[in-house]
Amino acid sequence: MNTVRAELRKLLTLPSLRLTVLLTWTANLMVTYAYAAAESRGESIGDNAALAPLGYTQAGFLVLGVLAAASEYQEGGQIRTTLLAMPRRRHLQAAKALALAALTLPVAAATAATSTLPADGATWTPAATAYLTLTTLLGAAVAGVVRRAVPAVVLLLGLYFIAGPLLRARSAASASYLPDTAALDPSRGATASIIWTLSALTLAALSLHRRDA
Amino acid sequence: MITIDRVSKTKSRTRILYDVSFEARPGRVTGFLGPNGAGKTSTLRILLGLDRPQSGTALICGRPYRKLDRPLTTVGALLDGSGAHRARTARAHLRWVAASNGLPDRRADEVLEVVGLTSDARKRAGQFSLGMSRRLGLATALLGDPEVLVLDEPVNGLDPAGMRWIREFLKDSAAEGRTVLLSSHLMGELAEIADDVIVIDKGRVVIQGGLADVTGGHRTLEDAFLALTAAEEGGSW
Amino acid sequence: MVSLVRAELRKLLGLPTAWIGLVLGTLTAPVIVLLNAPYTRRAIAAGTLTDTTDLGLRDLGIGLIGPMILGVIVVSSEYTSTGPDAPGARQLTTTLTAVPSRRRLLAAKTTALILVVAAQAAVTAAATLTLTQVLHGEHAPTPAPARVAAAILYWTLTALLAYAITLITRNGIVPLTLLIINSSVVSVSYLLTKVTDLAAYLPDIAGAQMFIRSADVPVEIAPLTAGLVMTAWVVALLAVGAVLFHRRDV
Repeated sequence: MNTVRAELRKLLTLPSLRLTVLLTWTANLMVTYAYAAAESRGESIGDNAALAPLGYTQAGFLVLGVLAAASEYQEGGQIRTTLLAMPRRRHLQAAKALALAALTLPVAAATAATSTLPADGATWTPAATAYLTLTTLLGAAVAGVVRRAVPAVVLLLGLYFIAGPLLRARSAASASYLPDTAALDPSRGATASIIWTLSALTLAALSLHRRDA
Repeated sequence: MITIDRVSKTKSRTRILYDVSFEARPGRVTGFLGPNGAGKTSTLRILLGLDRPQSGTALICGRPYRKLDRPLTTVGALLDGSGAHRARTARAHLRWVAASNGLPDRRADEVLEVVGLTSDARKRAGQFSLGMSRRLGLATALLGDPEVLVLDEPVNGLDPAGMRWIREFLKDSAAEGRTVLLSSHLMGELAEIADDVIVIDKGRVVIQGGLADVTGGHRTLEDAFLALTAAEEGGSW
Repeated sequence: MVSLVRAELRKLLGLPTAWIGLVLGTLTAPVIVLLNAPYTRRAIAAGTLTDTTDLGLRDLGIGLIGPMILGVIVVSSEYTSTGPDAPGARQLTTTLTAVPSRRRLLAAKTTALILVVAAQAAVTAAATLTLTQVLHGEHAPTPAPARVAAAILYWTLTALLAYAITLITRNGIVPLTLLIINSSVVSVSYLLTKVTDLAAYLPDIAGAQMFIRSADVPVEIAPLTAGLVMTAWVVALLAVGAVLFHRRDV
């Protein structure tokens, strides 16, 4: 319990996380507005307008997870302090995930609500909240393995925004195995999201357990 | 009490520690001496559970670091840097560390006072000078009022007043019955405070014992150190 | 100046992340052309893909992640700390001690970036277009040299755009996120063109019209004007970045 409390405190006192949340919210409002405006101009973009903005704002949540995890390895070498204070690494990894999820959940709920409610998609709000939270944990897990923020961001955004759409364009039907399918169609991609996140977290835990700090 | 028993470590195919064994006893200041790259930091990192040895054991009060409950109340450690994220204030840093070991928030202010950083409590760690970073690192080590202190090159980056302060602080800590293990490549510094000395070179313990025994027939600890570590190279600089 | 540029080139190419950008940027477009070849052939045969003048050139847009990474890390690497010992110390301190004139430093950095990205773009364009000719030669006309040059210019300007934004933000994450999201299939800029016609003058939308003919945009811009619009964006942002870089403490 002490460990979770310490991890929560760490996250709450990181200015970069606050900034990421603010930027994500601003971007979400803008994209939601853009979709609504395009719709009212009679320009259809073809996606489900209730969920489409999430396709963009999920980037903010990936970055949130990356920054939360990579901050340990940035300048100053905070990871050593963390491991000296909490040497049980499996414990630590669980506490980290728990703290990040607790912090992300309200942020994700607010984001999901602002983009789904104006498009009459209230039924999607819980699913979208869960999806964004899982995405944040996935981002944190990847950054926990990569240990550096910029490469982790390049890797994740490259996969989500460049490789993903290409794979989906080739075979739309079988793309439900991708981690971000749930952003487009929660009913189809939920399992994939959960499995991807859990696997990434497991990998991060193994990496933390095995490697020298 | 610190017990290191036949610890070996290979890092990227290079053997960096060969069967390192020594003890650091309560009530004494133990100096861990060696030139740059001799394996001092690697040994301390293994002792603190940060790195894993290939073989051997490193125990603190009879247990490996990773098995300690609320470790900061047993061991206080200072490695290079402050160990704080640059964007966090000194107080915020100390408070999360305190929370992780169930220590009250007021400990953060108490240790800031001890190391003389009270007026910088709201500054971000990234704005600290080298000396202030070291003091913040030391404050972190003292949070749990530990009975064992492990310090890697503690005087690095400190000004003369800071050096004298830490010398007195470590002597007092040992006098109170704590175990103090500190590494250094500064012989003069160690000779003034160490009761016991371990000399390591190229990953092997060359000699260990009381300060007088190690200094032996040499005039100073420095002479003994250079004779022991530079012998096979035949050169000095 | 030549030695300064050489130093900056060495610094850039010594970064592992730069090589990710180089490899990713150079390989993505040709690999996509190769992987998509059966689909493209089928589309041409079925008559769904009638306008083949953009074939190959359009794929070049996918590799843009390369120049983006390069443009960002040229700056962001200067702002990362050099080690745990001094959380305040950054590589930029060393750089500015070696080259105290910030104007000369920026000029050298910009030149180094242009050289690397233009070379990368030339190689990628050659590989992608040759591959397109080999695979679909009978359907795809050889693109005019001017359009190939425009594509290379587009890559270079994109790298400079990333570079300018990073000079302003001093942090790599913000520009990378912004630019990568915006290079996805349905980019934010494209979305904005559905809201306002003015969005056609955003740098990426306008710039692409330098070498792509059949773009889905509200306002058609002639290639030369398109180039000027994108250059104006880059120059404006670079000017802001340079002024800030000049004024700020390290």
